[in-house]
Parts: sequence; structure tokens; C-alpha cells
Amino acid sequence: MFGAFVVATAWSYSSIYKTRAQRDALATAFGSNRAIIALFGPAPMLQTSAGFTVLKTFLTLSILGAVWGLLSGTRSLRGEEDAGRWELLLTGATTRGRATAQALCGLVAGVVVLWVITAAIIVVAGRSSRVAIQPGAGLFFAAALVSGALMFTAIGALCSQLGATRRQATGYAGAILGASYALRMVADSGTGLHGLIWLTPLGWVESLEPLTSPRPLPLIPIVACTVVVGLVAVRLAAGRDVGASTIPERIRTRPRLRLLSGHIGLTVRLTRPTVVAWGAAIALTGLLFGFVAHAAAASISGSSVRTVFTRLGAPGAGADAYLGVTNLFLAILLCCTAAGLVAAVRAEELEGRLDPILTAPVARHRWLGARIVVAAAALSVCGIVAGLATLLGAVLGGAHVDGAAVVGAGLNLVPPAVCILGIGALAYGMVPRMAGRIVWGLVGWSVLIDLIGGIGSLDHWVADTSVFHQMAAVPAVPPNWPSLVALGLIGITASIAACVAFDHRDVQGS
Amino acid sequence: MTATPVVRTRGLAKRYRDADALIDLDIEVSPGEVLGYLGPNGAGKTTTIRLLLGLIRPTSGSAELFGLDCQRDIVAVHRRLGYVGGETSLWPGLTGAETLHLLGQVQGRVDDAYRDELVERFDLDPSRKVRTYSKGNRQKVALIAALMGRPDLLILDEPTSGLDPLKEYEFRRCVTEARERGQTVFLSSHILSEVEALCDRVAILRDGRLVEVGTLADMRHLSSFTVEATFDGTVPDLAGVDGVLSVSTHGRQATMQLRGSVEPLLQVLAASGVSELRSREPSLEELFLTLYGGGGGPRGSGDGDGDRATGDD
Ligand SMILES: Nc1ncnc2c1ncn2[C@@H]1O[C@H](COP(=O)(O)OP(=O)(O)OP(=O)(O)O)[C@@H](O)[C@H]1O
Ligand SMILES: [Mg+2]
Repeated sequence: MFGAFVVATAWSYSSIYKTRAQRDALATAFGSNRAIIALFGPAPMLQTSAGFTVLKTFLTLSILGAVWGLLSGTRSLRGEEDAGRWELLLTGATTRGRATAQALCGLVAGVVVLWVITAAIIVVAGRSSRVAIQPGAGLFFAAALVSGALMFTAIGALCSQLGATRRQATGYAGAILGASYALRMVADSGTGLHGLIWLTPLGWVESLEPLTSPRPLPLIPIVACTVVVGLVAVRLAAGRDVGASTIPERIRTRPRLRLLSGHIGLTVRLTRPTVVAWGAAIALTGLLFGFVAHAAAASISGSSVRTVFTRLGAPGAGADAYLGVTNLFLAILLCCTAAGLVAAVRAEELEGRLDPILTAPVARHRWLGARIVVAAAALSVCGIVAGLATLLGAVLGGAHVDGAAVVGAGLNLVPPAVCILGIGALAYGMVPRMAGRIVWGLVGWSVLIDLIGGIGSLDHWVADTSVFHQMAAVPAVPPNWPSLVALGLIGITASIAACVAFDHRDVQGS
Repeated sequence: MTATPVVRTRGLAKRYRDADALIDLDIEVSPGEVLGYLGPNGAGKTTTIRLLLGLIRPTSGSAELFGLDCQRDIVAVHRRLGYVGGETSLWPGLTGAETLHLLGQVQGRVDDAYRDELVERFDLDPSRKVRTYSKGNRQKVALIAALMGRPDLLILDEPTSGLDPLKEYEFRRCVTEARERGQTVFLSSHILSEVEALCDRVAILRDGRLVEVGTLADMRHLSSFTVEATFDGTVPDLAGVDGVLSVSTHGRQATMQLRGSVEPLLQVLAASGVSELRSREPSLEELFLTLYGGGGGPRGSGDGDGDRATGDD
């Protein structure tokens, strides 16, 4: 996937930016734009396909890789332990430390496989004159792309020792990734703090500068970080009890009964941590986008940038156009929240926690309905938070925007997420085994279609299958009311169908 | 006119993709009765219970609780029952007290005093998070949650798995009290002594089919028992006597398996000069092993053990 994305980007560069003038315009627009650099990393040599490819893919894919790495790290260590399979493994002829080391080696091998595949795709496609990446450069680029995944696999393993549950471990690792991104952003913001780049894993990745001016030196801290963090994880694993955590957990608390007067209250309580985490991520992202909107707006004057923005559905110039495009990222986050909420419903059944509720006098459709309504309400709150955070950032950053329109843009994100929620719930009601795959697949598909749509042109029948394509790039343009209503109606209809279907299927026990 | 049975199934069957889990089950449980529901692993006990709870849908047949359909009137049915499963999963972030409060509220039958009494009796520390509970402690939470509302029907699926002997004794006391209060109990268990101590009637399931229902006394009566006799003189020919299934002799001593009336055997023995006579009922263990294994006596490697690939045999 990594490799394909890189190749597609390099390919599209030559088709969108055909003339020298267009490329220069792009370079002046983005190359020195502090806002863009802060978000996507430095963008030298935008006159070349290489520079464009790096800007477009490098940091984004590195972060995706890091997320993948930390998730697989916590899943195969803490997740296995949570599920009790780790214990089973340890009754064999192995020790805690050795088993952890073995799991870690397996994960690293997975990263190596990722590197080989990515490299192969880039090198093979690089021979084409339109992509034009030398084999050596391609190998290095692939290595740079997966180095984030490598380090965060180890960090995920470390956090699996620190947290007592998979969720906690993932939370710690996610916080490290967030801090690492924020630190890198500060370093790249042009305020004379560029030295900070050496303090953050993502900074090392960025300093590799593949394709444009490759520097192998940062590979040293990358490898060192992986090895040291991995060793610490193994040491901690060897020195603790199975099922316990290194950071002690409060096991005794006074009962908090306020929300526990029924299954709806329970749903609120169970949903809250997930939503708070995603909401914080959304608020932070919105704040950032808002903050840089003013600076970025100044650079959307170039016609080539406008072309891209127009393709993404945000014609015009100024902060509004910029926020119209960045809201797409917020929409993706919100849809991920919706998918996560569906996955949580599925987990509740799979882990057998549904039995105590559904053997009480609670109708199944009421239980699922409550879950959906609470989730939809949470998504709406997240939408409003996104709008408010963006507005706050924009005001702080000195952009002149219409407050109501920016907050409205936040609400504009909600119907696509509700649509995802409804379809996910329907999948859960009908084919629970597939629910996770269907809902995450739908989000992934929508993202892919919309990004490709932004780069080249797509048949509109295909493009229409993306929920993001259906959403207007508010505040750059007014909301597309018919689309929003349609998305909302799909979500609501699917939810109702989900409740009916759930009443008529077998509930799985533990 | 007799009272409506609390549990009644008619031709109840459940087929999973490639196997029959339950075939044509007809069973009734009267109010106030404690029914033991037994069978080897994979016999279909949990399947029956989930059908009764309306959690899964029957392939054919129907199940009623309190005269109400388990699928259509599921909420009304659930208002009157309590359930404990063998593998209890609870919310790891909630404490024991929070869990009990929540389940009391959801069930709609709250008796705080009785709940606290049960917490005391089962020796549960309710201030701890469920995540830190051992399996036995999680099981206690589920038991207390089901018992505390004094429901008309208790459906228990291996409720004591993981409990220590003291808590298991406490559980037996609770069920006995429940029966005295007139509650009905449907108890699936692998612990035979528990079933013997608690149950009025026993139903035995094998390979998805009901093979035996009745009181323990009935079952004992139906099964063979052992008679040992020592003779003054030579051992007469006993193999032809009515009711004797098998004989083995050892010097002047004979051991025989007997089913049905002892009358004909006694006449033969009386005529032959018996110096010593002992008879032994089968232990419950022997009885169940016979029934589980398919009537051919205790078997080491019965085919009743484990999950089946195909339903019919
Ligand atoms: N969800 C399912 N899908 C397919 N087959 C199933 C499913 N659940 C149960 N079965 C099969 O149905 C049969 C009966 O299972 P059930 O759980 O009712 O047995 P049980 O009597 O409760 O056994 P145990 O004493 O081990 O608890 C088994 O053969 C099992 O493999
Ligand atoms: Mg069972």
C-alpha cells in the first residue's frame, strides 16, 4: 500500500504539473510556506517529482506506519496478555523475557517485510520515466518510510509493559506519537528551534530527507532507539508478573454510581473514554489547522495550488479555502471515531459482556439503539468541538474568518460520521463477524477515493461512494444540504434496520 | 388442573452450520422444582439454556417460560428470571459494588439488604475493580447478581465453576433457601454431588438428545445394582434367574448384576443356603457414567466426550 501510494503520487505529479512554470509556482507556494512545513514537513525541491512525492507522502505515510507499528506492538504483546493467550504461551518452555523478545523479533521481521515490499514496488515502478526514482534512492526512501513503523513497534512493546490493558498501552504509545509530532512541528515552525528536531523520533525520520538530499546519519538514532526501547521492554517484561503492569494501577475505588442506573448510563460510561481520546485528538488537530490557516491562506494564490484545492472541492483563496481542505482530515478522524465505536459494540458481545445485560429485562433493539444514539450524540459533540477548536486556532493565528461558518463546518463533519456509524451498526446487526472489517474498510475506501480524487480525476460513480466526497468543503463553499440530509438519512435508516436485525439474530456468548 | 410449568419446551432444536447441537427437546419444569441438567461436554446444555434465555433462535420447536414465548415475550420473561453463566465476563473498569448496583438497576429488582447479606456470605470485596478479581470472585459477582433479586426462576449454567468448597457450600445453601421460598431452579452442572444434594429431578442429555429424565430414586431403580452372596455349599446356577444380568463366581462367592424385582433371585438363594448376602446400589457416579457413556457401562474413552462434527449417530 505504501509503495503504491508513493508511485501514484509521483505519477500524478507529472500529469498535474506539466509545465516548468506550474512547478515553480508550486515550489514558491508550498516550499517556503511555514504552515505547510509545520504540517507535512519541509518541502525542498518541489520543482521535481521527488520533492513533490516527499511532501505528499513522506510524513503522512511515516505517521501511518508509526500508528500501524504501535498498534501491532500493543496488540501482539498486551492484547495477547489481556486475552490470556500469553499465559498459555508462557507455560511452554520459555521465559517472560524471551517470549517478549521473540514477539518483538517477529514484529521487526514484519517491518522488514513491509520495507521489502515497499522498496520493490518503488524500485520497479521507479524505472518508468514518469516516476523516475533510482533503485538506490528507492531503497533508501522505502527504509525512511518504514523507520517510523520500526521505532513505534518497539515503543508499542514498551508501553505494553507500562500499561495494564491494551487500551492503556495504546494510549501511552499514542501520546508519545502525538508529542513526537508536536515537537517536530515546533522545530519546523521556523522560530529558531530547529535543534529540537533531534529530540523526536519523527524528527529523525524527517531528517533522513530521502529522494531530495538523502542523509543516512539519522538512521543511527533510529536504530539505537529501536534497540534500546526494545531491550528495556524485554527487561521490564522479565521483571514483572503476567497480567500486571509496571505503572501501578489503582485497584480500589469508591463506587461512582451516578451513571449506573441503567444500561444507557453504562453505555455512556463505557463510551466516554474512547470519545474523550478521539475528541482530544480532533480538537488538537482542529486547533492546529486553524492556527496555521492565516499563514497558509497567503500561499493559496498560486494557480496550481488552486487546482489541487478545487479538485478537493474547495475553490477560491484565503483561510476559508484552506480550512475547507483541512476539514477533510477532521472528517477522517471523526469517521474513525465512529468506526471505533462500532468496533467497541462488537467487542462487548465477543467478550461476553452482553449476557448480563441482555438476560435482564432489556430489549435488544433498545440496547443497540441506545448505543447508537449515545455514539451519534458523542460524534455531534466531537463535531462541535472540532469547529470551536478550529475557530479558536484561527483567531489565535490571526485569520479573518466567519465564526459561524467555521463552527458550522465542524457540524458539517457529523453526517458522514453518522452514516458510517449507521452502516457499521447494520453490519453488526446482520453479520457481526464482519462488522469491524466492513466499517474500517468503508472508512479506508472513502479516504483512498477522496485522496485519489484530489490528485487525478475519477469517474463520478466511483467518487460518489466516498462519504467524504459527498461532504462539501465547508467553509470554502456552503454546505451541500441534500447530501448531508441523504447521509444522515442513510445513517438513521441503517441504524433502525440494525436494531431490527439484532433482535432477530443469535447473540454470541463468551 | 395443574399449574403452568415454569419451563416448557416442545420439539426444541438448534442446528449450527454443520452440526445439530440440540435435537427435539421436550422438557417441563414445574414451579418450585429444582431440575439438574446434566450431560457430557458438548451435549447441548449451554445451547438449551441460551435458547431458554432467547439469546439464540431455535431452528425448530419452541420454548416457553412462565407460559410466555422465549422469543416474542423476551422482556417479560427476563423480568422474572436470573441467570448465571459458567464463563462470567464483566466490565473490567467497574468495581464489584458498581457492577452489582448496575445489574440490580437493570434487572429492576433491588433488595439492598439481601444483596449485602449475600456479599457477606460469599465473602466478596466489592470495592475492588473487576479487572483485579480472580475467576472465582467474578463468578461470585454473577451469582450474587442473579440471587439478589429473588427471581421466580434461576437459570444456572455451571454456576460454581471456580468457587472454592466453602463458597460452593454457601451456594448450595442459597439454592436450598431459594427452593424453600418457592423459586424454580434450572441447574446445569458437572458436579454430581451438587446435583445430588440439590435437585428434585435430573435430566440427562447426550449428543443433543434427552436420554433420561426423572428423580434420582427412579433412575437408581431403573439401573442395575449389585448383589454379592456367599454360599454354605456349592454355588447354584444363577445365570438363568429372572432379572439377573450377569454372574461371576469366586470360590463359594457369587457377584451378580440385577435389574428389576429381587423376588425371583431371593427364592433361589433361600433354597440354596446363603451364609452372607450384601447388596449395593450403584453410586451416583456409576449411574451417570453409565448414562453418559451410552448405557454400556463406564467407559474410559466415550464418544460422548468432546464436540461433534455431525449431529446424527
Ligand atoms: N456458535 C456455535 N457454532 C457452532 N457450533 C456450536 C456453537 N455453539 C455450540 N456449538 C456446538 O453445539 C454443541 C453443543 O454445545 P454446548 O455448548 O451446548 O455444550 P454443553 O453441553 O454446554 O457443553 P459443556 O459441558 O462443555 O459446557 C457442541 O457440539 C458445540 O460444538
Ligand atoms: Mg456449557
